[in-house]
Formats: sequence, structure tokens, C-alpha cells
Amino acid sequence: MESLELRKVSVRFGRVSALDSVSIALQRGQAVTLLGPNGAGKSTLLKVLLGLVRSSGQLIVDGTATRADNTFKQQVGYLPEAVAFPENLSGDQVLRFFARARGSSRARVLEVLKRVGLSSAAGRAVRGYSRGMRQRLGLGAAMISEPELLILDEPTGGLDLEGLGVLWSVLTEWRERGRMVLISTHDLSLMEHRVDQMYLLKAGRLITHGSPVSLRHAAAIPVRVDFELVADSALQRAFLSRAESANPSMQLRANTASMQVPAERLLETINLLGAVPGAVAQVRVVEPGLDLVYDELLRRAG
Amino acid sequence: MGRVGVALLVQEFWDRARDRWVLTISALFALLCSAVTLYGKSADEVGTQLTGPSLVTLTSLLVPLVALVLGHDAVVGERERNTLGMLLSLPVSRFEVVLAKFAGRLMALLCSIALGLGAAVAIAHGQSAVLLRLALPTSLLGASFLALGILISSVSRRQVTAASLVVVCWFCLVFFYDLGLLGLLVASDGSVSTGTIGWLVSINPAGLFRTETLRRLSGPGVLEHLGVAVGGPGRVAEVLIWIAWSVLPIGLSGLLLARERDMR
Repeated sequence: MESLELRKVSVRFGRVSALDSVSIALQRGQAVTLLGPNGAGKSTLLKVLLGLVRSSGQLIVDGTATRADNTFKQQVGYLPEAVAFPENLSGDQVLRFFARARGSSRARVLEVLKRVGLSSAAGRAVRGYSRGMRQRLGLGAAMISEPELLILDEPTGGLDLEGLGVLWSVLTEWRERGRMVLISTHDLSLMEHRVDQMYLLKAGRLITHGSPVSLRHAAAIPVRVDFELVADSALQRAFLSRAESANPSMQLRANTASMQVPAERLLETINLLGAVPGAVAQVRVVEPGLDLVYDELLRRAG
Repeated sequence: MGRVGVALLVQEFWDRARDRWVLTISALFALLCSAVTLYGKSADEVGTQLTGPSLVTLTSLLVPLVALVLGHDAVVGERERNTLGMLLSLPVSRFEVVLAKFAGRLMALLCSIALGLGAAVAIAHGQSAVLLRLALPTSLLGASFLALGILISSVSRRQVTAASLVVVCWFCLVFFYDLGLLGLLVASDGSVSTGTIGWLVSINPAGLFRTETLRRLSGPGVLEHLGVAVGGPGRVAEVLIWIAWSVLPIGLSGLLLARERDMR
């Protein structure tokens, strides 16, 4: 699969519009995330891809309009939100079922159990699994047939550091092997450096999309520059005088002068370093968190 | 049936075969069949002749209940556990999912029936052929009520609702249906023909099982002898009724699942 596109997808549940003409696109080797508050339509959009929800619009694979039929689903692995399995089955039995259903070998089951860190718990019943273990088992079930497209709905829920490590390694592997990953999540900060494209949804509508960097630019939230000053009070006074004239919103806390500046004025602000030689011991540029970018973009969407 | 369907069928069979409730009820059925047969064997000639009819009565009560309970959580259980979406994300049609669940559970039910009747056959050496004649109608009775249980599971939003509905269904079809017909016969004061009553008995799988197996085990006059003058529907109609009771609920369940808009 080289490319995949959902074009102008709309879903209605009675009078409620769950999705309103939403379009997303993925290319080979890309990881794409869907962002948005509860009820934004993220999970619904993932279900549209799997044919679990009736919708209008088009599914286009490699430039050809298709349907979410069995041929398409053979290329897709899915980890649902709040994944669950029959409680009486062991992790090994669950994965063996998915392997049989997908035509994967027993050796692959053992390989996946090891990959998701459940080899030692494979014989235990799922009822004794923690939420994170269930999530890892779900990830294993989704990846058992090495699908072209991995669809992960809130995959970080309940995962500990080890689990997150497994998730990131799978994400990296899928991208490196030229496959696709589509993720719906609330954990923005975790995803920032791990995805290529982000789609922001609100109340069933697509607000904006782009790379994490381009979304940062679009939000245009000021960056914070912290100047840690030396103890010499004469140097401090001289620096603060220059800095205040350059940026009246500057705040002094302990020996640190902080100022919020638009991204385009960052270089000019950092140049204050040379204004009073020897006054600044250290400078830090703190970019706004992606959650702030997200809040700002949602606020603008109204 | 495709690869996913077969995997699901196998999974359903083993899940049921390992289920403590299914094992208990199978053991109970085998025990009761054995007890009835042992009693018949130790009694006089009349007692021996009643072994078959007694087993028919026992089977017509127990097998529908087991089958209904076996089917009641097939779809709603998956829905309530939030596993239906993951199952349907596999390359499988919704109708195939219903069919695989039916086939897997039916296999488990047939094992349970085989255990019960097998125990009876093992004890009653002289009557083995007679008892073996019960195997096919009992399996058809089980398949019909299992299909009905799966249909109830498909229309229910909660497992507890499905459980209540199968019990109501069992009471209605196994107990109250015949009483209702008796009431109709009395109330109509003979204006409803025995032919009509015969048909009304036969369209209920429990009634069809009872009348046809009794007729085959004890001869055509047995029902008249028991004071129930009911004509049979004929072999072709009988086969069609059995097929309809299995195929229609499963088809309807598949249709309902396919029409569902939001699959969790």
C-alpha cells in the first residue's frame, strides 16, 4: 500500500453529526495522529476505515476508490480503545486465535509475545492481566500479521514506561519498513516527535492538519526565553535595563529574566546576550508545549 | 466459510467445551438419561417400554434450555465485553461471524447430547437402536433452540436482558405453548380441527420433537393412546420446519448485525 485517503467522510447517528466531511491522507512510511477532545470523532473515523460505522465519502487506496471490505481489512491491524478479550483465555490463546484468523504461524505468535514483553505471562488467563498488559496484548494482536496499516485507538492508555517503549519501537519499525500507522490519542506530548502528520478534529469537523512543526507555526504561540543572570548586581541592572526596553513584558524571578516573544523575534531577543557582556550566565529557549498549541488551535476554531 | 470464520468456530467450540456451566449441565443430562434408562431396565415390561418416552420428555425439557443458554451471550456478550469491534475488524463478514458462533456452539451442544444419549445407550443394551433414533431429532431440537438463543442475543443490548428473554422463551415454547393449545381446544369446543391443532403443535420445535419422536419410538397410535389425537405434518413439512427454525433465526441475526450502524 503506497497511499491511503479518506475523502469527505460524513457520519450521522440520528440527528447528531459525528463526522462532517472530514478528509485525511497517509503516505507509505508515515505515522499520522488524530487529535481532538472527547466526542471529536476520532474513534468514529478509525471505525469508518474498518467498515464498523456506516458513512458517506470515499476510501481511496493507491489512487483507486475502494471499500472497507475483507480484501482491504486483510491489510489492516486494529487496536481498539479499552481493548478487551475473553477473560478465561490466556494471552497465548488470544494471540493464537488472531494468528489462525490471519494465517500467521505459531512461530510468529511466540515472536510477538516476546516483542510485546508478555512471554512470561503468556500462559496466564487475561483476567489476571493489568490494563497495560491487555494493551500490549492488543498491540500484539493488531501486529500479528504484519499489516500494511496499523490503526491504534488511544494506544498509550495504561501503558507503563516499558509498554511505551514497546509501542515506540513498533511505531518506528512500521515507519522504517514503509508501512503506515494511524493513531488516535490524547497524549500530544508523547506523539510530537513520533508522527509525521497531525489532524485536529473538533465536534466532527477537521480544524486543521499538518506536521507538528507546521502546527506550531500556525498556532503562533510566543516562545519563552529565560536569561539566567550572574550574581553581579551592576551587570544585572545594566542587562535588565536593556532587556526591559526591548521587551516591556519581561519578568524577573530570582536571578532569571523571562520574556515571551513571537517566534520571528527569537533571534533578535537572543542577541540581547551580547548587549551587556558577562551579564548572562545561561540562556534557555522554552518552546510552548504541543498541548498549548492544541488548545490555541481549538480556541480559534471556536 | 473463510479462515477467520473457521478460527472463530474452533474458538467458540473450545470455549464452550471448557466452560464449567456447559460441563456441569452435560454431566447432569448424562446422569438423568442414565437414571431414566436404569429405571426402565430394572422395571417390568411396561416400565421398559416407557424408557423411550421418558427420555423424550427429559430431552424436550432440558435440551432447549441448554441450547438457549448456550446461545444467549453469543453476540451481546461480545458487545458487552467491547470485543465485537476487534472481531469485526478482521477480514470476516458479519453474517459469517454469526454462522461461526452458531456452528461452534452447536458442536459443543452436540457433544453434550452425545454424552447424555451415549450414557443411556451404554446402559440399555437391548434398546440401543431405539435410543439411537433419538439422536437426530434431539440434535435438530438443540440446533433450533440454539439459533433462537443467538437471535435473542443479537436483539439484546445487555446480557442480562438476553438471559431473561431466553428463560421466558423456554417457558413459553416448552411449557405454556401446549397448555395454550389445550386451552384453545377447550375454549373452541371442538370448532378448531385436530388437523389445525396438529399443525400448531408442529410449528413449535419442542412440540414437533415430542410428537414425532414419540410416534416413531412407540408407533403411530401412541398419541391417540395418550389422548392426544394429533396428526403429524408429514415428512417433508417436518424437515422444512426443522430447517426453518435453524436457518431463519441465524439469517435474521446476521441481518441485524449487518444493519448495525455503530460497532463498538
